[in-house]
Amino acid sequence: MIQSQLPILIIAIPLLMALAISLFGRKSDILCFYLLVLGMAATFAAALGTLSQVLSTGESIHYYLGGWSAPHGIELVIDHLSSMVLCMISGVALLVGVYSKRTVPAEVPFRTEHEKIPQRVPNYYTLYSLLIAGLLAITATGDAFNLYVSLEIAALASYGLLALGQGRAYFATFKYLIMGTIGASFYLLGVGYLYIKTGSLNMGDLQGILAQAAMQHSTSITIAFAMIMVGIWVKMAFFPLHGWLPNAYTLAPNTSSCLIAPLMTKVSVYMMIRLMFSVFSANYVFVTLGWQNLVVPMAAVAIIFGSISALGQKNLKRMLTYIIIAEVGYMVGGAWLGNANGYIGAVYHILADGMMTLCVFMALGAIIYKTGDSSLESMRGIFRKMPITAAIFVLGGFAMIGIPPTCGFFSKWYLVTGAYEAGQWFFLGALLFSSLINAIIFFRIIETGFFPDFNREKESGHHEGKVAMAEAPLSMLLPMVITALSLLLIGLYSKDIINGLIRPSIPPGLL
Amino acid sequence: MKIIALLVSVALGVILLVATNDLPEWGDPQSPASTHLSRYYIENSMEQTSVPNFVTAVLADYRGYDTMFETAVIFCAGITVLTILRRSHRRKKKDVQPRPCREGQDIILKSAARLIAPMMQLFALYVLAHGHHSPGGGFQGGVISGASFILLSIAYDLEMLLSRLKERTIMFFSGLGVLIYAGIGAICLLLGGNFLNYSSWSKILQVSEVEARSHGMLGIEIGVFITVTFIMISLYADLASGGEMDEGL
Repeated sequence: MIQSQLPILIIAIPLLMALAISLFGRKSDILCFYLLVLGMAATFAAALGTLSQVLSTGESIHYYLGGWSAPHGIELVIDHLSSMVLCMISGVALLVGVYSKRTVPAEVPFRTEHEKIPQRVPNYYTLYSLLIAGLLAITATGDAFNLYVSLEIAALASYGLLALGQGRAYFATFKYLIMGTIGASFYLLGVGYLYIKTGSLNMGDLQGILAQAAMQHSTSITIAFAMIMVGIWVKMAFFPLHGWLPNAYTLAPNTSSCLIAPLMTKVSVYMMIRLMFSVFSANYVFVTLGWQNLVVPMAAVAIIFGSISALGQKNLKRMLTYIIIAEVGYMVGGAWLGNANGYIGAVYHILADGMMTLCVFMALGAIIYKTGDSSLESMRGIFRKMPITAAIFVLGGFAMIGIPPTCGFFSKWYLVTGAYEAGQWFFLGALLFSSLINAIIFFRIIETGFFPDFNREKESGHHEGKVAMAEAPLSMLLPMVITALSLLLIGLYSKDIINGLIRPSIPPGLL
Repeated sequence: MKIIALLVSVALGVILLVATNDLPEWGDPQSPASTHLSRYYIENSMEQTSVPNFVTAVLADYRGYDTMFETAVIFCAGITVLTILRRSHRRKKKDVQPRPCREGQDIILKSAARLIAPMMQLFALYVLAHGHHSPGGGFQGGVISGASFILLSIAYDLEMLLSRLKERTIMFFSGLGVLIYAGIGAICLLLGGNFLNYSSWSKILQVSEVEARSHGMLGIEIGVFITVTFIMISLYADLASGGEMDEGL
């Protein structure tokens, strides 16, 4: 019985856990933490269960909510693509959950150093769990309107989580709120047009109706598609709609940025791919409309803009946020190349980039936790002070540059191949350029971290550089080490992941 | 910058107008929206759910999963506002200007509010319970019921309301409403049905499966009602007290 109910458990567990934290966790902050980790572990187990089910049967799972069959009720559809993303989301949620044991009490309950605000930790964990429920619901749903509702809950929870940071975090989040709401409105408007034209909200049903010749050449449908894409691009901070992201993520509490940076943009990319190929079709997007010659160069510009801006940042956290903007360009470009290799690169990069963003953000969070500073200078001598954290940060950096055997290499390989096949030379150049910039950025950090400050040592007379070891606590190290290992494992088993999970999900019409 | 914004808005408006070009006629009975799925709901909702108001049937049963998330969205919004605005009590009362506080001495206002509030609450319950037959339901009823508490706290003062409804109580009930909704759905799993398949409740309620769907809808509407009521109170108290949840307007 439990086997057939797994799809809904993935969503119901974090939702019920959010309520449990809110109702029963108000007395003790640490209880909230344990409830959260328990809930996320159960969710991760359920996600793995559906993954193995999809892999063993080779077919997608359809789950009918309320027992109503597909176009009349809402259905969840879990296929190869969504089961992979579900596992990534719940895995990241579990890792950050464990990581949050020390960071949340250290940074969340305080507005200033002296003012401790009551009830903030239970509320924080409630929002955390609601965010995960929303993201998982976005990924699992097979209904275009339900996707909007899930998006709403994920977005609202993320505003709350991001706004708790220091200084101007409120203002940055308010900007994000305005932009995010505009994005969601665009999406809703697009779905509204689709409903007027087709009378349906179910993705599978919509695809069937939209395949009719009359629909293929309808202006309303074209505009609906454009609205949906623009809405999702705002949500994923695709250049030039990225303005809200750097400040919102930089000023947020470290736990929030560790959680939201790897998930929010990647889930938006998943949404884009889902809508392009499961509501509309590859034929409609690439042949009938043929906008790839507009979107792929825009993605290339996003990559170049993100990389150059990252190069100019002094604050490491802000630098990483610009790298996220560049990475969004990778995935949008890959999905819009219109061939199988580009698609594989984009989908594989959802997984790979999720894990490597998590890796560098967690390592940086640990450094900030210990040194209280996120400038490049804070990295000085970090290899002596925090050797494990520094090694993890370097590994994450290698993955972002794309050095084999880390996972970053393989996604770039497929993206470059796809760009070559599609003849998108500008995009190909941008990919290589961005790798180069990433190499400069991370080697600069490594150099700073590896060599102690000679000038200061001369003054104080220490030649040995006796910096006391001050490694991050175990609750932070453990998830970091697991994430770093996963970067290697995802890279080493890239062939199995691509052949087992991604190739079966390639939509018909992509060669 | 403002000119660019204006141009973008105008361009967007033009695009939206162009899109309406090949939309079906206004109120066309042959349009896809009125033929594809709606016909199924209109023809079948009464015999499948025994709820005459098929808007309620679609909202609470056919698409009840969406409504569960909508309720969670309201809960989430309440928690978010509380998390962001909530402050600790002002420790040094002398240093800060006193907030504008109403004395709450107006006898006419107080008496009128005392008369109106119970009527509102009664009407809220009617709107909730009558959602199966007429426009209404948990959201509408919840707003009316929440407004009655806000009316009381405006006529008296916020301190009076918060001394009767503690912050913890408010948060407990706003979570409880969503829990009732999701719990009714989750118990369906234990009874062997799919999530939110209220017909599996027939085993417990000892009624037919169709009747169980109707009862299930009433149950989840009650959950929505509780959440909406208490999130309204929480939002008002939070904003009116400047996030300190003690006293205010």
